Amino acid sequence: MAMDLEDDTTVLTTLKSFNSFISRTEPPQRLSEHAGGSTSLQSQYKRSMEFLEAADRLQSSHRYLQLDQEKKQMELSHKRARFQLEKAASYSARDLEVQVDRNQELLGRIKKLEERETGTAKNLSEQLEANHTLRKKLEGLNKKLEERDISLTSANQSNSSLKDEIRELKQKILNQTSTISTQTLEKQELQEQLDLQRRKCQEASQLCQSLQDAQSACSEHIIKIKELERRLALQEQDVAIVKTVKSEAARVPDLEKELKRLREDNAFLRENRDNCGLLKEEVEGLRRKLERMAKTKEELASMELEKEVNKLQAWENLGQSTGLNIRKPEDLSREVIQIQQREFALKEQNYTLNSRAERSHSEICAELSQQRGKALEEQKKRETQDALVRRLQKRVLLLTKERDGMRAILESYDSELSSTEYSPQLSKRLRETEDILQKTQNHNAEIEAQLSKAQEEMGTLKLQLQTVMYLHAYFRQKIEDLEAERQRLEEQNNTLEMRLERHNLQGDYDPVKTRVLHLKMNPTTVAKQQRQQEVEALREEVTRLRELVRSLQEGGSLVHPQDDSSMHNSSLGLRLPPSKEVLDLRKQMESSELRNQRLKEVFQRKIQEFRTVCYVLTGYKIDITTENQYRLTSVYAEHMDDSLLFKKGSNGNMQLMETEFSKTLDEMVALHLHHQKSIPAFLSAVTLDLFSRQTTV
Amino acid sequence: FMKMTCTAKGITLKGSAELVAEFFSFGINSILYQRGIYPPETFTRVTHYDMSLQLTTDPKLKNYLTNVVSQLKEWLFECTVQKLVLVITCLETNEVLERWQFDIECDKSAKESSAPREKSIKTIQDEIRSVIRQVTATVTFLPLLETPCAFDLLVYTDKDLVVPEKWEESGPQIINQSEEVRLRSFTTSIHKVNSMVAYKRIDSV
Repeated sequence: MAMDLEDDTTVLTTLKSFNSFISRTEPPQRLSEHAGGSTSLQSQYKRSMEFLEAADRLQSSHRYLQLDQEKKQMELSHKRARFQLEKAASYSARDLEVQVDRNQELLGRIKKLEERETGTAKNLSEQLEANHTLRKKLEGLNKKLEERDISLTSANQSNSSLKDEIRELKQKILNQTSTISTQTLEKQELQEQLDLQRRKCQEASQLCQSLQDAQSACSEHIIKIKELERRLALQEQDVAIVKTVKSEAARVPDLEKELKRLREDNAFLRENRDNCGLLKEEVEGLRRKLERMAKTKEELASMELEKEVNKLQAWENLGQSTGLNIRKPEDLSREVIQIQQREFALKEQNYTLNSRAERSHSEICAELSQQRGKALEEQKKRETQDALVRRLQKRVLLLTKERDGMRAILESYDSELSSTEYSPQLSKRLRETEDILQKTQNHNAEIEAQLSKAQEEMGTLKLQLQTVMYLHAYFRQKIEDLEAERQRLEEQNNTLEMRLERHNLQGDYDPVKTRVLHLKMNPTTVAKQQRQQEVEALREEVTRLRELVRSLQEGGSLVHPQDDSSMHNSSLGLRLPPSKEVLDLRKQMESSELRNQRLKEVFQRKIQEFRTVCYVLTGYKIDITTENQYRLTSVYAEHMDDSLLFKKGSNGNMQLMETEFSKTLDEMVALHLHHQKSIPAFLSAVTLDLFSRQTTV
Repeated sequence: FMKMTCTAKGITLKGSAELVAEFFSFGINSILYQRGIYPPETFTRVTHYDMSLQLTTDPKLKNYLTNVVSQLKEWLFECTVQKLVLVITCLETNEVLERWQFDIECDKSAKESSAPREKSIKTIQDEIRSVIRQVTATVTFLPLLETPCAFDLLVYTDKDLVVPEKWEESGPQIINQSEEVRLRSFTTSIHKVNSMVAYKRIDSV
């Protein structure tokens, strides 16, 4: 078995083993020889046979071994091949498994995909259906849309028509607003009229009241009159009784008559007294009114005056300050507006005051005239009453005397007829009548006292009237003053307005209401900035140049004593960027001057050449003496001064001027110039003449 | 189409603002040309209002004027502008030499009612033309501007207005000792423009 394992060494080992076997076989041979002494040849044959057989066996075994080895090798190779094949098979099997798995997977996938396909097919059909339905819906919607479009167009039409209507309505509204405004204006007018009417109504009511007062006064008077009449009647009755009682007292009716008259007078006086009282009251009322008016007026005037003075001072201050520079134009405008308002108020007040004053004045005048008339009447009445009183007093004296006489007579009667029952009655009556008489006398006295009072009152009334007149004059003066001040203020107002207008023209504004704006980047500021920049640049340049000049001066002074001018020069060169330009310009100038010089030279040469050629060819030297004058000197001239002068006229014609030489050529001048009118011919003739003269000499 | 209705029915607030702004544009241009603030070769001739007018071709000036005039148009539409003033200043002495003042009276009721006013654009333009003619004629009596000058445009507005960006408050730039001359005015029935010029008095003594 060890030999089997040792593949390559098998042959060697077999050989070894054979050798070893041969070597080993000797002892057994000896043994066999020892053991098989009897059987010699047979045994030897047997032994050789055996040996042969053993050799064959060995050979066969050897071959066997070889074959076996070969077989083993074959097997090994086979095994190897099989192994390899198995390996390959296992690989392929594994691959197959993998493939099968993949196949299965793919199958699964295919199935899934199929499922999915069916699902998608279903979906597709559903979608198609949905699409159909949607299309139908869309058609329906389109129809609806069309319908709506139609309705919209109709709505638009209606809208436009409505707009038209609105425009018409607006116009109507405008018309109506205009009518409303006119109506409001009318309304205002009507209201004004109404106010007027109301005022009139008030006046009328006042008049009514006064009338009622007068009526009540009248009724009182009537009642008094009636009372008096009643009393008179009583007295008359009494008198009648007295008459009836006393026929002798024939004079009594006279007395009664007198009494009656006196009573009437009395009533009259009473009336007068009442009138007087009324008048007094009225006068007092008026006076109070006047006082009030005067006070209010004075107060008003003083207040206004103070205000105006203050304002005037303020204005003067302002004016002084504004004369130079108006700082607060808004104050000015405000002041102006205030003044205007005040002026309006003042005007109104003035008007009202004026009207009131006029009214009061007229009333007072009327009152005055009335009062005067009344006073006159009163005076007349008083005089008549005085006369009456005197007469009455005289009569009373007479009556008392008569009464005394009558009493004496009656007493004598009484003494005579004391027994009769008749006398006490009579005496009673008499006493009564006497009492009545006393009463009337008392009454008379009272009336007289009243009269004197009335007269006193009249005097006071007159005084009051005078004061009223004085006040009236005073107020009139005041009104005139106020009017003058008003005018002054108006003028001031006008001037202030003018000033305000001027300020407005000059561009002033009210900073409370207005604000002045401009663009930040406006042309003026831009220009100013540019200018500023330019100025700065120039300033810089100036300082730079100044430094340069200073350094140059220093350098110039330093050149002589020291030799560091080269350094200065270098610094100078560094500091002089414009010098290069200057140098360039200088070069250009020099070159141009040079060119000029050359041109001049060339021209001079050419002109000289031209002149010499002319001289040689024509025989005349032509010089320009002054402008438009040409001097011709011939080659053959006998003297240096012999020359001809030609002048160019304004029309281009050449004219010969008189010279010493030309005087000698009269013939030729006459022939060639005057007759032939040819200057070249004349000149040729002169040349020939001179030439011939020279040659002959 | 809008313009057609404008001419047919009168003038609206917007149309009025545009007309007045246009007037200012042409008026300022012709003042700058007449007074020689800018060289005459930088102007070009156009025909407007049935008359020949000068318009600047300087791009910077053009830009500035369009800025100002468009803003002004807005304010005219809002009725918040009171005056437009063209101030001419001497650059050497910083002294104000001339003030062209245009007072603008706005009818603020036009803001509430949009109803157009009955005034044809033709008559308004006739009025504007006469104003510009007068402006041109003032050169005969205004003193010569001998020094280099620059101009500025001031706008007087209501106090409650919000100051827009790029704008700032300025002084009124009043001339010290001036003579004033009132010029013609025109009205669109919504905006009334009174024009006047004030110039520095030259001491005749």
